[in-house]
Amino acid sequence: MSFFKRVGALTCALVAGTLLTTQSTTAHAEALTFTDIAGREVTLPEMPDKIILGEGRMMYGIAPLIEGNPFKKIVGWKSDLVQYDPDAFRKYQGAFPEETARMIDFGNPYAGDFSIEAVLEADTDLVLLDVGNLFKAEETGLVEKLGNAGVQVAFIDFRRNATENAVPSMLILGRIFGEEKRAAEFIDFYIAQMRKVTNIVDTIPAEDRPLVVVENAAGWQDDFCCWSFGPYNYGRFVELAGGKNYASTLANAYSVDLSLEGIIEADPDVVFGTGANWKEARPEVTSTLLGYEGDPEVNAERLAALAARPGFADLRAVKDGRFHSIYHQFYNSPYHFIAIQVLAKWLHPDDFEDLDPEATFQELHDRFLPYETSGQFWITLNR
Amino acid sequence: MSDSSLVSGEALSLVRAYKLRNVRRAALIGIAFLLLAALVVIDVTTGPANLSIWRTIEVIFDRSLATPKEDVIIWQLRMPVAIMAIAVGAMLGVAGAEMQTILNNPLADPFTLGLSSAAGFGAALAIVLGWSVIPGVGGLFVSVNAFVFAMLTSCALFLFTRLRGVSPEAMILVGIAMLFTFNALLAFLQYGASEIQLAQLIFWQLGSLARATWPKVGVCFVILALILPWFMYRSWALTALRMGEDKAAALGVNVGLLRISVLAGVSLLSAVAVSFVGAIAFVGLVGPHIARMIVGEDQRGFLPLSALCGALILSGTSIASKAITPGIVYPIGMITSLIGIPFFILLILSQRKRHWQ
Repeated sequence: MSFFKRVGALTCALVAGTLLTTQSTTAHAEALTFTDIAGREVTLPEMPDKIILGEGRMMYGIAPLIEGNPFKKIVGWKSDLVQYDPDAFRKYQGAFPEETARMIDFGNPYAGDFSIEAVLEADTDLVLLDVGNLFKAEETGLVEKLGNAGVQVAFIDFRRNATENAVPSMLILGRIFGEEKRAAEFIDFYIAQMRKVTNIVDTIPAEDRPLVVVENAAGWQDDFCCWSFGPYNYGRFVELAGGKNYASTLANAYSVDLSLEGIIEADPDVVFGTGANWKEARPEVTSTLLGYEGDPEVNAERLAALAARPGFADLRAVKDGRFHSIYHQFYNSPYHFIAIQVLAKWLHPDDFEDLDPEATFQELHDRFLPYETSGQFWITLNR
Repeated sequence: MSDSSLVSGEALSLVRAYKLRNVRRAALIGIAFLLLAALVVIDVTTGPANLSIWRTIEVIFDRSLATPKEDVIIWQLRMPVAIMAIAVGAMLGVAGAEMQTILNNPLADPFTLGLSSAAGFGAALAIVLGWSVIPGVGGLFVSVNAFVFAMLTSCALFLFTRLRGVSPEAMILVGIAMLFTFNALLAFLQYGASEIQLAQLIFWQLGSLARATWPKVGVCFVILALILPWFMYRSWALTALRMGEDKAAALGVNVGLLRISVLAGVSLLSAVAVSFVGAIAFVGLVGPHIARMIVGEDQRGFLPLSALCGALILSGTSIASKAITPGIVYPIGMITSLIGIPFFILLILSQRKRHWQ
């Protein structure tokens, strides 16, 4: 953990350093040099015009940086946004129908269907990849092959060490798109919203921090419980929001498979799962369908069904009405400060009485996003 | 006169030896059975929740005594897993034993013949592409896909045996070809899977008892109850087959028919087991070898003991998987191999005679 923190801090310093040193030169020459989240120095001969996204969900980070059309410089992406967050995709589609229609689906960068020839065919300047797949990208020779073909690769991260890497990732994106000012504005907003929680959590003593069980993608499989996060991603969000993440006490891993009996015995104070509109790609899911088209009535029913699963029904957290569900995709986006604010209210309702995540979410959309908010992004079991 | 008394004396000692062997075999099976019962008790009484042994046994015998929490933990979480471990272990043990017998090859088992890989590919189709082979089966479609693919593969093996002049060796090679084909197809799907799908796929492939439910346990026991007695009924023919195809034929065994009908039963056993708990290597291969080292080739001892050895291995693994880190579910497929193989090698090294003739 501390290793990752150190790496995160180092990356911050490196990014900040390169920003300072290259600022003056880039103003004249169009060349662009920066250090990405993997610690690689990336040099582009000129500002990139044609960018491919290794994940469609990178749009969560790009959209707030660009006033007007965020797709202007993007030629293609992987279809994960279309498949696993169709609500958000339709928001982009509504705002920029022609742009979303022309986007090329390059498939999975780490799979055989990602054609490097097609990347070259599209005259690509830069491919953005997720740092969680650094090993895979190097192993499959993707980085090398693209490099040989003169296509630069840069790694960003909103998932693996989301909270450490969100700010440097936004800085990198700001540089790539030539939107440093907007990036700084977004980061200001991000830090202010994170501080609203962490400033208060810092004063909460360890013994007052509730035990929390996170169920990753609750209802993705109806016959197995429970995937959870170790001290990463949502596991980390829980810690930042003033809770003790149960899976982190068992293993220091990104993903942990919990036994239901262990959860019953641990008797957590709060239990929450993540959900998104997976129904279109996977009709059999029983998860909550949170997102821009989330229907409170449907989600209430689905959450009640999740709470009624054998073993869950008798949990203290369920009986006390501390059983919740939250939008899964916060786990792979710089908007995770919304999740942390929601969690803070769930974990410490008295301390965060005045905190209003709804308003934060509204402000995010008003100030940074090209579409209006709608739907439902979190829900609490109604008892 | 003295001649006949000599003969009767010899016959008597033969009969005595035969009876002794029978008694010894029954005793060994009895011991294995007791051992299994002990393991099941340990399995049901261990877990992250600290319930005392006596309380657990009390609740098992009188469910009405249980608090809601105890009821969930013992009756819905621990018992199905513990009993599923026995059922699946026995199914894989029997399947491996009879595959080795009919193919006359010590390496035959549902895993090495590609049935598990085929099932894994079927499951991956469901997990990654959301594709159901048989529409309208609802949430069970991962298991159903796995089952269908395992059955299709054994049908392919089955058809292969119908070809003229195909030897058991050739069948093994075809099985291994299947194994690699399905592994390659599986890798292809894995390559394009999202991270959630990948987690689900890997978990499935490594095998887990965590998704055991009472209905699944029921299905397993029904299949066992249908096939095991029938195999027992054919045990003399199967024993004869192990002495050689020609000798078995000379003894009046229809070798071709026997081979095909046993293959059908074995396919059903392994396909159901694999589709419920995922691909668990080792049990089907090693369980029968341990049984063979203990009782030899006679099917009357070998078959039940293979079932018991399989059940013992999986039951022990179920306990071990809980003991590593309480609260975390470890896939048992990796534990069977990790814990089982050193033990197996030790057994082989300690055997002075060849255990596979």
